[in-house]
Amino acid sequence: MNAALALFERDIKGVLRSRSQLYSSIMTPLLLLVFLGNGVSSGLEPSRLSAGNFTAYLVAGAVVMTAVFSSTFSSASYYRDRDSGLLRMLLSSPHSTRTILLGKSLAGVVIGVVQALVVLLVAAPFVDFEWQYGIAAGIALALAAVLLLNVLLAGIAQALASRIQTMQGFHLLMNLALFPLLFFSGAFFPVDGLPAWLEVLARVNPLSYAVDALQLAAYADGTVGYFGLAVDFAVLTVVAIAVYAAGLARMPRLTWSGK
Amino acid sequence: MGEPAVEAQGIVHRYGERRALDGFSLEVPEGCVFGLLGPNGSGKSTFITMVAAAEQPAEGQLRIFGEPPSAGLRGRIATVFQENAQDPLLTVGETLRLAGRLFGMSGAAAAERGRRLLGTFGLAERERDSIGALSGGMRRRLEMTRALLHDPELLLLDEPTTGVDPEERRALWDALLNAERGRRRTVLLATNDLAEADGVCEQVAFIKDGRVVATGTPAELKAGLRHESVRVGWPGVTPAQLAEVAAWPGAGEVTVADDVVHIATDDAAALVPRLFATAPGAIRSVTIDRSTLEDAYFQHVSRRGAVPEAAR
Repeated sequence: MNAALALFERDIKGVLRSRSQLYSSIMTPLLLLVFLGNGVSSGLEPSRLSAGNFTAYLVAGAVVMTAVFSSTFSSASYYRDRDSGLLRMLLSSPHSTRTILLGKSLAGVVIGVVQALVVLLVAAPFVDFEWQYGIAAGIALALAAVLLLNVLLAGIAQALASRIQTMQGFHLLMNLALFPLLFFSGAFFPVDGLPAWLEVLARVNPLSYAVDALQLAAYADGTVGYFGLAVDFAVLTVVAIAVYAAGLARMPRLTWSGK
Repeated sequence: MGEPAVEAQGIVHRYGERRALDGFSLEVPEGCVFGLLGPNGSGKSTFITMVAAAEQPAEGQLRIFGEPPSAGLRGRIATVFQENAQDPLLTVGETLRLAGRLFGMSGAAAAERGRRLLGTFGLAERERDSIGALSGGMRRRLEMTRALLHDPELLLLDEPTTGVDPEERRALWDALLNAERGRRRTVLLATNDLAEADGVCEQVAFIKDGRVVATGTPAELKAGLRHESVRVGWPGVTPAQLAEVAAWPGAGEVTVADDVVHIATDDAAALVPRLFATAPGAIRSVTIDRSTLEDAYFQHVSRRGAVPEAAR
């Protein structure tokens, strides 16, 4: 019993001292309640969905969600490399840390793009997509949007990974940051007509522009009520570059073990 | 020997407030197997890591092959870190191809040279095995294979045999020396294993508290010592008794740790009978050895209790 109590105490201390784990475990469900609750209450009337087809509407959100999960798991390889010691070998090679992180991000981006496109292409035959720019152009636009989205997500993941010491903390913070972004991005319900404060958040949310581009490419039968492809790609490009640069601003060094 | 392969002058490196290197100065001649000896936390690994990173220190000067540190120089260096640097999801062959490509080799060249080195290190049959299937000793041998793959001019070994059983240790050094036959490579070895250093190093430096406190060949470092080393199992020895022994003619440094008194002397045959006369019934064992590098190490670096000069 004493041993069990000692271990209980030790694990409680571990959680209390891992502030990122503590806060994000509580914040994530609260944010879900706030954003999902408000969004579903006011956004899911069939009359507000084009053609009233919620399954088709959800595809863009599912693609973005796939990219979010994929980038989170791919970026966790930073911790695998650090904990297996491989990061030390990488940092002792004659290449700059930037090159090493670029190679690792590239893998995450490619995996994320492929997985997201697989979801899109598997779903496409079963839902009513308009492909208003044609199927080939629509897929190309979706590919471009997903690519930019994954670069952006890789940047967020890199920025967090270089600052968060444990993989658990990293996952929780990624969830804390990305789930709310996902829920008020238009992925699961339209963002126009939401309470004003949620609509503002949706407009400053970069994921909204990826969802918008995907919907325009595959699902929408017009452009009214959307941000527009030019705005979508401009925002995604600028934010992806900015976030990725922020991710590279603090890089691991061999002399502090990458920890 | 020409220009030093590694030259450090007055290097200071801090981890927060703690000075891991504190005025560290050293010259490692090119083509030499050079040992860094010191207790845990003395700064050996910090210096090895700094050279591996080819990074200019915040204070002091570091030159590698006569040049200031730069990322490009890392291509001429290889490091075996204290902990393995291997991805458990890769196979042995994939690990070597990755390492080779990172150090400028083609995949094919890395695979070919890797196969040859795997043979030297007794891992020829393991090329397709996953890293997770290897024993601890095999993984250390794979680390050596990986480090030698791109034929570096400077090989940094940071306690490469820590946690390896004696048989594996012997196999590892045999394979390394076999691989090095005919190759005059500079090797910088950080180790706590004094016998290992005595056996393989041409020159050594003793490190203490982030500084080099003595350097030379093992023979030079041993030359300043008394010829014999007497270890006495003496439970309950008192400071007064230690001071008395230290004052005897022919007795050198006297230290004590864990009820074992270590006496450096030129004449063990005269000293031992006096010990039994001084503490009849208290002495449990007496061992007489020729002085070793370990004795030199303890003279320069020891944290064991030593009899102060004033007490002699």
